[in-house]
Amino acid sequence: MRSFVFFATRHGLEAFDVMRIARILIWVVVAALGAGALGKIAFDRGESLNAMWFVIAALCCYLVAYRLYSAFLAARLLALDDTRATPAERNDDGRDFVPTNKWVLFGHHFAAIAGPGPLVGPTLAAQFGYLPGTLWLIAGAAFAGCVQDFIILFCSIRRDGKSIGQMAREEVSKRGGFIAQLAVLAIMVILLGVVALVVVNALKSSPWATFTLAMTIPIALLVGLYLRFVRPGRVLEASLMGVGLILFVVVAGQWVADSPSWARIFTLGGVPLAFAIIVYAFAASALPVWLLLAPRDYLSAFIKAGAIFALAAGILFVRPHVLMPPLTRFIDGSGPVFAGKIFPFCFITIACGAISGFHSLISSGTTPKMILRESHARFIGYGAMLLESFVGVMAMVAACAMTPGVYFAINSPQSIVGATPDAAAETISGWGFPLTAQTMAGLAHAVGEQTLWNRAGGAPSLAVGMAQIFSNTIGGERLLSIWYHFAIMFEALFILTVLDAGTRVGRFMVQELGGRVWKPFAQTGWMPGVLLSSAIIVGMWGYFLYQGVVDPLGGINSLWPLFGISNQLLAAVALVVATTILLKMGRTRWIWVTLLPMAWLVIITMTASYQKIFDANPRIGFLAYANALAAQIAAGKIPAAKLVDTQRLIFNQRLDAAVTAVLAVMVIVLIVEALVQWYAILSSRRSPALHESPYVQTQWAPGYSGVAQGDD
Amino acid sequence: MRRATKNMRRFAHRFWRGLREWCGDAAYERYLRSLAARECKSRKLTAEEFYVEQLDRRYSRPNRCC
Repeated sequence: MRSFVFFATRHGLEAFDVMRIARILIWVVVAALGAGALGKIAFDRGESLNAMWFVIAALCCYLVAYRLYSAFLAARLLALDDTRATPAERNDDGRDFVPTNKWVLFGHHFAAIAGPGPLVGPTLAAQFGYLPGTLWLIAGAAFAGCVQDFIILFCSIRRDGKSIGQMAREEVSKRGGFIAQLAVLAIMVILLGVVALVVVNALKSSPWATFTLAMTIPIALLVGLYLRFVRPGRVLEASLMGVGLILFVVVAGQWVADSPSWARIFTLGGVPLAFAIIVYAFAASALPVWLLLAPRDYLSAFIKAGAIFALAAGILFVRPHVLMPPLTRFIDGSGPVFAGKIFPFCFITIACGAISGFHSLISSGTTPKMILRESHARFIGYGAMLLESFVGVMAMVAACAMTPGVYFAINSPQSIVGATPDAAAETISGWGFPLTAQTMAGLAHAVGEQTLWNRAGGAPSLAVGMAQIFSNTIGGERLLSIWYHFAIMFEALFILTVLDAGTRVGRFMVQELGGRVWKPFAQTGWMPGVLLSSAIIVGMWGYFLYQGVVDPLGGINSLWPLFGISNQLLAAVALVVATTILLKMGRTRWIWVTLLPMAWLVIITMTASYQKIFDANPRIGFLAYANALAAQIAAGKIPAAKLVDTQRLIFNQRLDAAVTAVLAVMVIVLIVEALVQWYAILSSRRSPALHESPYVQTQWAPGYSGVAQGDD
Repeated sequence: MRRATKNMRRFAHRFWRGLREWCGDAAYERYLRSLAARECKSRKLTAEEFYVEQLDRRYSRPNRCC
């Protein structure tokens, strides 16, 4: 580079210009490389495609999006101002408001937003083929998900770290705020029910996995006691100790699975597992946080970071071939994993890796209170979501790198493919994905499971994909079973963390809402109130979990889309709030930045809601399924012993339809409220009242990075 | 060579400090620093009290996502 500059400066160009040209050239190369890789993914119809094309396409697109689009958002749309003191500087209390180094806060924020969603969603959506999901992951993140996270983070920074509900109340309307609050609670309940179902499907009749996960509870208790009484707050050493123990129980699970008497104790069916998880979450949310919830969260954060890093390294090292076709026949809506056409269901199924409304809860409230400078919001808000999208692309690669027949065997419910292995293998081979029952039996044996059939939920198939990648890196076939159970443990561990943390937060929401009716209920220290509100929240998501476990269509088929719809609806709420704020700031010219993703989300969620409620196909429409079952009862086709179960199934379908309808109506009401506001602002009937905190000049020197003096 | 070692050591030091900040290991030290920097009327918490109080607050709002 230096010699190039020397050469060019001798020929009449300023060194500054040369650097500029070189930089532009580098970005042109990155963009061209990304475009080429995307083209390869989209149009290659050869035998199989190397996963490196996915990695290159995704990384180049992210780099270009970050360099150009997020820079535009930061400079033009939001006009980030580093001379303005952030809430962390103004209100520094060493607890909530803590000025935090940019990289550390990036890690915090990423650990908070990355959950099971970006892993499970793409795995399920792989039934459409690798192409639609991958494109939506990349484009959705760049133009919708990252934009939402970034702008909500910015809005919350300018409002002392207020939550999305508070911002909706102040900037849109009182009713808007209440709706946002209810929507958050509703999505939380559905989310918890669905992710618990993923765990149940992963642990069902697997003594190894059940033992490993059960053992994480005493390990977490041990770590909790150590952190409280032995060396308070020494998180790092305690967590490393705990992680070591967890890795040991992953291996020890094999001995349990091999011993008939022990294996019997840990071999559980779906319903007992569901109740075990419900009881666990109730206990974890009602017990003191330091005992179980926090230590489990520490362990899960370390294992999550390690496993995601290992997956990336594994993909780079193994460079597996993607065996799934770019598009499968199931784009017509007849997919076995979940029913529904590619539009809108691909965009509903992949929620978290592309855009996730839940992130707006993290981007408002927690992260904005720790941010050091406004300009860091670009790296933390936009950048962390790009990384989450990359996790989604890796999950897609892991799912598509296994033989498609195996993928469909793991993820399809019995009622669709057939009850016996031979019948199921024949059905799947008939779809054009060759498979034999022996292959599945051999694979199940190799990963140390009794069976891999009918394990819908995404976790087992992702674990098989990850185990194949990991075992190609270290250990080969011999370690396949260890890697598989490591992957299952990793997913189940942080799903349980989401469950107990979510149950606790849900409990506070129930208490807050209940407190409006009866004051004492809102006291968070009052034991009967704590127990009752915990029971209410656990009962609500527990019902969805139970319903999913006993559903003959596999549960995931009806519940995952419901979760996707509610998550995307929450994203629409966040973007409505963001659009309103931008309009009030006078950014009408750039309003499409949030308006277009919002419109897209409204289109997909409303289409999906309509289809999930009213579609005539019983596998898609809740009401059609309920009516089909009712017709069977009326025709006397249901044996008396199954009558009660069938009636409950009918009730569940109607309940799901009602929940979907209520969510959709709530969001429509919020949008109408916002439209009235927008009309008033644009027609200058109302002067836009922005509720920003007043400008205060920063006291920090320009280079300050959050490091205490004498620490460096 | 010496410069490279120095850079490596500095990077390792920063990484270690970042890791401690990220996982919460350094939270109490930060609280003490923040307390010293402000004129604070409230009583200084012990490491144990601070740890429990901080956890209670952190897990009362959404901090883990899907």
